[in-house]
Amino acid sequence: MATEARVQAPASDTGNVIRDSALGIVPQTLEHYLALNAAIWDAGPLNAAEIELARLRNAQHVGCVFCQAVRYDVAMAAGLTEEKVQIIRQQSPAEQLSPRENLIIAFTDQYAQDPAGLNEGLKGDLLEEFSEQELLHLSLVVAYFNGFSRCAVGLGGMPDHVPVMEISVPR
Amino acid sequence: MSWIIDGADRETHTAALPVIGDHFEQLYASFWELPQLPAQTLELCRLRLAQLHRSHADFELQKYPLASAKRDSLKDWHRGELFTAAERACLEFTEIYAMDCRNITDEQATAVKQHHGEVGLVALLQALGVFDGVIRLGLIWQTSATGVTDNGH
Repeated sequence: MATEARVQAPASDTGNVIRDSALGIVPQTLEHYLALNAAIWDAGPLNAAEIELARLRNAQHVGCVFCQAVRYDVAMAAGLTEEKVQIIRQQSPAEQLSPRENLIIAFTDQYAQDPAGLNEGLKGDLLEEFSEQELLHLSLVVAYFNGFSRCAVGLGGMPDHVPVMEISVPR
Repeated sequence: MSWIIDGADRETHTAALPVIGDHFEQLYASFWELPQLPAQTLELCRLRLAQLHRSHADFELQKYPLASAKRDSLKDWHRGELFTAAERACLEFTEIYAMDCRNITDEQATAVKQHHGEVGLVALLQALGVFDGVIRLGLIWQTSATGVTDNGH
């Protein structure tokens, strides 16, 4: 992975991690990005801890070191523990998570690895556990963070290791 | 046929979660008006992603008009002479992005920047993320794109 940044971030220091990142140099998309990011956290039926489970699992698939190091404070406040974060880093965390949490992981894995290959069993389990609105929210959460993580990796400047850091949702 | 809600197309799904769906669609729409990246180049990249994902629905969809010769020879873009150097740089970048974005090389990123600048590289990465997301959502939801009624033709 490229450890040298391929793009110079803007000189701004607003405290907003998206605005101050390389994404900030494209004014035509920046506000849409920020608005979508806020909506992902605020405007869907899944709670912040569930969103964070999907986000962190996706980050692992993409290999985004920054994304894996971040913990959103709203998710920790909603009950996500560091112990659980470490559990979802395992290949098959089934026994230690609730059925609902396992389905979030399974859906995220399916999206990342084989979106066309969703089988009837997983489909049925998802429909039994989640409402339609929750499934749409989960889908858009994973799609958003997958694109965001890939963008971060593609921009380069990714170190081998970043210490865990807790941040607020940029608004 | 979708398994989550009634409605065959992807837009019906995003509209069913209005605030998030609206912002997602607005971000998607914003890429087609970027001064740094021609819409024609973006359309080539979107179509190439559709090919790599084997999403017939997304390949059949037309977001921006292209010459049919370019569309027809897109799989072999590296062999044909129809594609400009700028398009080739973006298509090569798109292919590596789709396979594993960790494998994008500095040379591939530099090639995009030479034609479209740093802003163009960032915009391309953003656009590829959303295009890829739209295609994956269509596949996992088992929907068609608007204007395409059959996901499996």
